[in-house]
This record gives sequence, C-alpha cells and structure tokens, in this order.
Amino acid sequence: MRFILHIFIFLALVNSSSAFAQNQKDKVEALRVDYITKRVELSSAESEKFWPIYNEYNDKIKAIRKNLRQSYRKGPENLSDQESEQLYILFVQSKQAEVDVHKQYNDKLKVIIGARKMVKLHLAEEEFRMKVMRSLNPKGEGE
Amino acid sequence: MKGLKNIPSLLVWCTGFFILVSTKVFSQNAFDSLKIKSPKHYFNTLISLDSYRKPDRPFKDTSDLISKRLKRYGIKQLSFYFHAPLYTKDKTSGDGTIQNTHILLTGNFVSLRPVFDGLRDHNLIKFGVGLRYIYNTGKKGVWFVDMSPFVTRDITYPSSKPYYRLASTIVYSHNVSDKFNWRLGATKSFMWGNRLYLPFLGLRIGRLDKVNLSVQFPRSISLNVPMGSKVIFSFYSRSQGGMYNFSNADSLYYKKNVQTFHFSRYEINTGGRFDFRVTRNFNFYVATGLSTRNTISFYSDNANKKRVFYNKYFYSKSVAPTLFFNFGLVLKFGKTRSYYNNKNIYDAIDLNNTSSPNNAGNAQIPLTPKKKISDLNLKSVEDLVDYNDF
Repeated sequence: MRFILHIFIFLALVNSSSAFAQNQKDKVEALRVDYITKRVELSSAESEKFWPIYNEYNDKIKAIRKNLRQSYRKGPENLSDQESEQLYILFVQSKQAEVDVHKQYNDKLKVIIGARKMVKLHLAEEEFRMKVMRSLNPKGEGE
Repeated sequence: MKGLKNIPSLLVWCTGFFILVSTKVFSQNAFDSLKIKSPKHYFNTLISLDSYRKPDRPFKDTSDLISKRLKRYGIKQLSFYFHAPLYTKDKTSGDGTIQNTHILLTGNFVSLRPVFDGLRDHNLIKFGVGLRYIYNTGKKGVWFVDMSPFVTRDITYPSSKPYYRLASTIVYSHNVSDKFNWRLGATKSFMWGNRLYLPFLGLRIGRLDKVNLSVQFPRSISLNVPMGSKVIFSFYSRSQGGMYNFSNADSLYYKKNVQTFHFSRYEINTGGRFDFRVTRNFNFYVATGLSTRNTISFYSDNANKKRVFYNKYFYSKSVAPTLFFNFGLVLKFGKTRSYYNNKNIYDAIDLNNTSSPNNAGNAQIPLTPKKKISDLNLKSVEDLVDYNDF
C-alpha cells in the first residue's frame, strides 16, 4: 500500500507542476462564462442548446490560437527561409480557419438565440475582453 | 441562337456555384487542415486514493461465543479507484442539440482490514474492472449503465478461495430544470452487506455548481455547499459496506474443513466533508462524523447456495456508534473539452461520481470564482485574447 501511496504522491507532484497558469486560465474562463450568462440573459431552453455549441466554438478558436502561438515560439531570426514560408502559410490558414469557425458557429448560435441576443453576446465578449485587458494594464500605460 | 443567349447567365451561375462549393469545402477544411489535436473527451482520467478508519468498539452482546472471541470491531480501509474515458462520440441532431455517448473504463481496488481484538490480522481485498456507458440525449435526459465485475479474497491466508461477483447499475436521469433533477433506475449492489437488487431513486434540488440537496437512494443524502471556487462543504449521510471473502483460519465457522466464508459489513456514516480543489489536477478531501448501525455478518457459502439474497448467517451483530475518519486524494489527468454551463454534462459527471466508491469526481464541475478579475498575467489569458486586441 505504501508503494501505491508513493506512486500517487509522485504523480501528484508531476501532474501539478504547471498548475498555477492553468488555474488562472480556468478562473478567467469561468468568469467569462459567468459574465456572458448574466449579460445575454438566455432562457433555460436556449441555454440547454447554446452552451454545448458555444463551448465547442470556443475550444476551436482557442486551439487555433494556441497552435499558431506555439509555432511562433522559435523566433523569426532562427527560422530558415523554408520555415518562414511554412509559418506564413500557417498564419494565413489560421486566420482563415478562425473566420470560418466564427461564421460556422455564429450561424448555429443565431438559430438558437436569435440576432438580438447574438448582438448581446458579441458585446458581452468584447466587454469582458476589455476588462481583462484593463486588469493586465490597470493604469492604462502603453509600452 | 436562343441557346447561346443563355450561356453568359449559365456561366455566371456556374461560377457562383463553384465559388459557393469551393468556399464551403474550404470552410469545412480550414480548421481540419491545421491538423490541431484537440481533446476528445469530456471526462478526465481520474484516480483517487481513499483512506477510511473507524476506531474499534466492543460488541453490544457479549453472551455469544463468536462475539466473545472477536471482542471488538473496527475498520481500516484503503481504496484506490480510477476511471478513464475510452470513447466519446458527439452527434448534432436536426434542431442543433449536441448528443453524446461516453464509454469509460473503471477500476477499483479495496484493501479492508477489519480490526477484531481477538483475531489475527485479515486483509480482505476487492479488485474490479468495469465499463460505464453514459448517453447524453442533449435535451433533458442522461442514461447511465455501469457493469463492474470484481473479485474478493482474503489475501492474508492463501488457502482462502476467491469469489467473483458483478455489481451493476442502470439509471435514467432527467433534468426538469437547472435546479431540479430526478433519477430512476435499478442497481445490483453489495453495499448493504448482501447481494441486493434495489431500485435507484434520486432527486436533486439546486444547481450542481451551487448549493444543492441531493438524495440518491440507496447510496446517500447530501447537502452540498460550494465555498468559492476552491472548496465544497458537504453535510451528508451515506451507507457504506460490502461483501468480502474471509478465511476460516481462525475456525470461526464451526465446519473447520470450510476454508472460506463471507464477511459482510455495513454502516451509515453521517458527517461533514470538505473537498479542496488545490489545482486543476489535484484535489483532496477530509471527512469525519458519526458511524452508526455498524453491523457485521458472517455467511457460509454452502448454506446460501443458489440464493439471490444471502439469508443464512451464522453470526450477525453490531457495535455502538463510533466516529469515522476519511481522507482522500484525487488526481485528474489529460485535457477535456469545455462544458461550461452544459447542464447535461454536469449531470453525467454527477452520475459518474455517484457511482464511484468514494464519490471522487464532482470536482470536475466548474464553480464560478467569487473573486473578480485582478492580478492576471498574460499567460493566463493568452487563449482568450488575440494579439490584434493589443
């Protein structure tokens, strides 16, 4: 049994190594969802269909951005011409994919909640983003 | 010549058609062409380690010969549980609802050491691996089916025989609204210290991510109170128990040539539990309270052959109520798809949790932090903002 306990503690340590940033991300995500819920005023029936699709939409956008961000890690000065070309193509593809995902999922969401609430949703997303930006730079100082 | 007049308009239509088709094709493939690996499942792989202790107390009736030999009874139990998603399939229906099917592999290992003052040490183990099927209709209902074959054995004495059993549950859960849910089903369980076929009746008042009262017969009644996004307090009453194989090395059963008999126990624990969500992937809990109806029974297998319900025991007694202590660690692995405010997935997680031996799973349901947005760093919001936002 001690062996199992030791394995467990080892796994807990390994598993929690990048926990802080992830916790912060989860917190922001939960606050965002809460903010949108309050601002868009979805009915129970709308909520039932809306959130599974909205979560899927959000996951895809985040995945595209993360994928692109990771590809840029190497830094332009360390890239060969061929790599630069590939990265440029990836950038264009990612932007196109984002637009497509926005279009595809916003169309689906509009069917569920209607155009008026879609406007509310976009405003809520934008407002929340502004709040986040302000919290990153509370005094409004630019670089 | 008339036909030639239509050629320009035909060309316009054809061009339009191909643009539409190519846009459609491109729009379908733009995301896929990036070949991004996304999480497949809604459930984390979860493992938990649970330690449960009950101090020993004397038997109420000491006139019985076996009671005289046993003298006192207490429990030391260590259990290990895991579940891992094997398969997840989403399907979008005509009206836009997303239905999903989940298959999970489950497993548990229990090492139970009943503490009898008058006997040598017995380490009773239970080991099982099973499958769990969860179907979310996407509207109001979630179906849940669990099959858990397991084996029990007294490993302290190699001469004792193993015994194979099957526990199973089928439940339909219906979300009338965010704040009210009912469940109906059937379960074959050994939790009450016997092989029982019981109805499964459940009720929940209040949202799963807020304060809620949950009644899950025959398992538990609990009042759950989230305290911020990191701590959940539960006041609960829960039945606990099981049926194990017990070596007859101490000759408790009068037929000395019988090497193994069945030891069964159950108790009702009422107390408080704190669940701490330390990080996204690591939680722990502590619980304590009063353990009542501490009953044990010994059944001979021969006397109960081919019976659905074991009804011939050669010993059954209880000890006075005592305190119990419970401590557990829960680890989650892997990334999941988002399911914020997806009440059916919350319900599926709760059903999955209700059927876990130590209720180790509801920490997957996100709670809203009380704190406002402050002290963020760029790393924490990089998925949310695009660099165009700066």
